[in-house]
Amino acid sequence: MDYNWQFHVIYDYWPVFARGAMVTLQITLGATLLGLLIGLPSGIARMAKSAWWRMPFSCYVEFIRATPALVQIVWIYYCFPILFGFQLDAMTTMVVALGIHSGAYIAEIVRAGINAVDKGQFMAARSIGMSYLLTLRRIILPQAGQKMIPPLINEFANLMKLSTLGSMIAVYELLQESNNLIASTYRPMEIYTFLALVFFAITFPWIWLSRRLEIRMQRHA
Amino acid sequence: MLDIKNMSKSYGSLAVLKDINLQVGPGDVVAIIGPSGSGKSTLLKCINFLEPYDQGEVRFNGELVGYVEKNGKRALAPERRVNTQRSQMGMVFQNFNLFPHMTILQNVIEGPTRVRGVGREEAIRDADTILNRVGLSDKREVKPTRLSGGQQQRAAIARALAMKPRLMLFDEPTSALDPELVGEVLAAMRQLADDGMTMVIVTHEMSFARDVANRVVFMEGGYIVEEGPPQQVFSSPSNARTREFLARVLN
Repeated sequence: MDYNWQFHVIYDYWPVFARGAMVTLQITLGATLLGLLIGLPSGIARMAKSAWWRMPFSCYVEFIRATPALVQIVWIYYCFPILFGFQLDAMTTMVVALGIHSGAYIAEIVRAGINAVDKGQFMAARSIGMSYLLTLRRIILPQAGQKMIPPLINEFANLMKLSTLGSMIAVYELLQESNNLIASTYRPMEIYTFLALVFFAITFPWIWLSRRLEIRMQRHA
Repeated sequence: MLDIKNMSKSYGSLAVLKDINLQVGPGDVVAIIGPSGSGKSTLLKCINFLEPYDQGEVRFNGELVGYVEKNGKRALAPERRVNTQRSQMGMVFQNFNLFPHMTILQNVIEGPTRVRGVGREEAIRDADTILNRVGLSDKREVKPTRLSGGQQQRAAIARALAMKPRLMLFDEPTSALDPELVGEVLAAMRQLADDGMTMVIVTHEMSFARDVANRVVFMEGGYIVEEGPPQQVFSSPSNARTREFLARVLN
């Protein structure tokens, strides 16, 4: 290999990575929050008895899960303004698109969590006269919630990786900053390698945490 | 108090309850016995509409359960009405179904505070009285998983009693218990009966049925085959199938 490694580039330009990391984190947190706001009611609605509630949310979940996140992002960035007249800036587009995207996956996590709660819990709550919604709120969701935490943490880690798609619409997250840096320093090896390490460092702790929680819950079951 | 007329229910094409007629008056203790699959549990769940019934009627204190009748047509009753009807009946399940994320005390006050709007202080006082009756006062701050099966079932009975129901439904309350724990639950139930509670109990405990019930109903294949006072049904059943069942179970 004929490459002249110059890792001091990273040392010299570390504020660039720090800036990019901040944007990456902002996108991830924003999308997670939005995803939870969309996903929680969607998951509950998918389990409703009435098809009027189930159908629209099922369509949403199935459609989003079957299309690539990148396609959803560019659609919102380029097609939305044509349809609705106003343009979202790139950063907001990322949060909205990834929020809608993860909402569909979170809806499935919520649905699975609720299903995992023993049916007898429903019967017992209804038998003392609790309404369906009260039962969900007081009895089912608290129990489902515990089971949902590991997959939700996983989803958070996923979103962190998906934030790199922002580089396609010029959001100055980590990948975009890295690309620009490479354009001015001609050091793809060091920069991309360091980029991968940075992602590993900010993503892996969450995956490790979610696995530990899963094991802990298995033991307590 | 409970008036069931010509009630039937099917799951799709499978008929599980056929032409059920049953009257339960205040203070009655009705034991329902019969082989597995005879529809006993389903009958219980139709009484408080945890399962909807298809034909006939179930009336609780004169009011039709689960449906409303308008101009001779029947429609499903609004959820609020059914919830109120359910809150006046208590149910105890084979698998206890206590809320595992709450303490015993929280389990017992959940219904009164959240459904009937009783103040927390008053609910706790009532709960302590009931827990004392079933012998669980020292377990009020404990979570259900720490209790034995017998204790959990007694806690479940307390939770049902906290709603001050007029009718208590028991779905094989001791079937999931180790034999040495069955006695404490039956004792709690016997005390309830002595105190005048109206009870419908699906059970395999024949001696309990004979001693505590004032009426025994034998079900098989979705029908009520025989009904009468325990002395009659157990000692001199009039129906051959009743005799067969008792012979199998009582030897």
